Amino acid sequence: MHLPRFTYVRPGSRDEAAGLLDTFGKAAVLVAGGTDLFPRMKYRISTPEYLVSLSGVTRFLPALDEDGALRIDALMSLGDLSRSPIVRTHAPLVSQAATCVASGQIRNAATLGGNLCLECRCLYYNQSHTFQFVEPCFKLGGDLCYFAPKGNRCWAIFASDVAPALLSLDTVICVTGGPGKQRRFPVAELYTGDALSPLTLLPSEIITEIIVPSAFGTGRHSFRKFSRRKGYEFAGLSVAVALQVADDGRTCRDARIAVGSVAGGPVRAAAAEAGLPGQDLSNSETVRSAAATAAQEIRPIAHHGYQAAHLRHCLEVEVLRALTEAAGPAPLADV
Amino acid sequence: MEHIKVVVHLLINGDAHDLAIAPEATLSEVLRGQLGLTGTKDGCGTGECGACTVLADGRPILSCLTLAFECQGREITTIEGVACNGELNPVQQAFIDAGAIQCGFCTPGMVLATIALLNETPHPSFAEIEKALEGVLCRCTGYNKIVEAVNRAAEAIAARLKGGTSCQTP
Repeated sequence: MHLPRFTYVRPGSRDEAAGLLDTFGKAAVLVAGGTDLFPRMKYRISTPEYLVSLSGVTRFLPALDEDGALRIDALMSLGDLSRSPIVRTHAPLVSQAATCVASGQIRNAATLGGNLCLECRCLYYNQSHTFQFVEPCFKLGGDLCYFAPKGNRCWAIFASDVAPALLSLDTVICVTGGPGKQRRFPVAELYTGDALSPLTLLPSEIITEIIVPSAFGTGRHSFRKFSRRKGYEFAGLSVAVALQVADDGRTCRDARIAVGSVAGGPVRAAAAEAGLPGQDLSNSETVRSAAATAAQEIRPIAHHGYQAAHLRHCLEVEVLRALTEAAGPAPLADV
Repeated sequence: MEHIKVVVHLLINGDAHDLAIAPEATLSEVLRGQLGLTGTKDGCGTGECGACTVLADGRPILSCLTLAFECQGREITTIEGVACNGELNPVQQAFIDAGAIQCGFCTPGMVLATIALLNETPHPSFAEIEKALEGVLCRCTGYNKIVEAVNRAAEAIAARLKGGTSCQTP
């Protein structure tokens, strides 16, 4: 399969790239690693006239702020992210989630920012539409959904593994829309939850860096990815848990539970989180009831052959495992 | 619209090439179509099979999802470039010795992924081998022998380093 023809543009800076995106409008697509975009272009799902490549942009290495927050370049490849000693020390959950993405080959090309901006996927959308599913679905500008023929919306899922990890760490996203048009906001505000247009970014905006605050960064955490094969596959669902624990080593001070691949964006299990502060994490009942609450409040969308009821059961199991792992081995009883 | 070609300067297996290519040409298309380096296989074309794996600055990437234009300034190694002075790379030899080749379509990708693994982790565990090779699909179900080959290659390279042989793996 060949890529469709396009005009290749390689700006020297992110601001310049944002300017080009602004000029070209809908005819242009931004590309960094290309591992998500190029397959779609080969399937002719996306046929941009201009390809604005970030390959000529200078990158910076991850570094700590004065307040202990870790700043990571959005153009850092997932492979570098999983190998970087500073990320592994100061944001181990991010590096763990990055290691779970796709295969080594893809991780060496794919970037952090690209993974946060993945296109939503479904079994029907992500394939060639030349001989079957020819009628355009919602995502292709039509008005039908192959997955839910009677439905009136797109039911694709957002499959990033890194996004739930960043969500659970209260990460801040920095974007630029051109010179003087920088803004920063919590990662939760990056996602609309609507599979048709999953991102809240303006068409000309580019993610420049992410900032992982120190509070959750080095706390207790766990990342779990559930899929049929253990290896190279998009997640059936992924769970990221970050905990702040009191000095006694078992009383929860604050908790974050984020789940990916269950909706049009990563979601937080807010009710399950709310029940945890002040609780004893070494008590298996506490953890069990939090997992049950998470499975009750989140309704996973069936996708890629996984049934909704199955995913909901797996969600409960994976949240339970993640919480248990994050809480750590029960400290020795004070005898 | 007339389509403009661009001139690229690529460094492949230590040789410099100046080529006129279409901007949308992928590295695998240039390697196979223009340079005749057909050891790099074109499988799925969408990043699922890993048959097109090549090394860029020593790290495995998928040549079918990489624009050739963006490979300028990077040192590309294909399966044709891993043998040294007419002698097979220890990883290639280990694949032959272990019988880890059936149809051979995945083998270039497997060998290059193994070379990248052993450069970073000279004595990989089973889990590390699994993780490093997860991106290359073998449909002849030969994974046991492939894992065995990786272990043999690790031993062979360790023995070579002890013996002080000068041949460098990429």
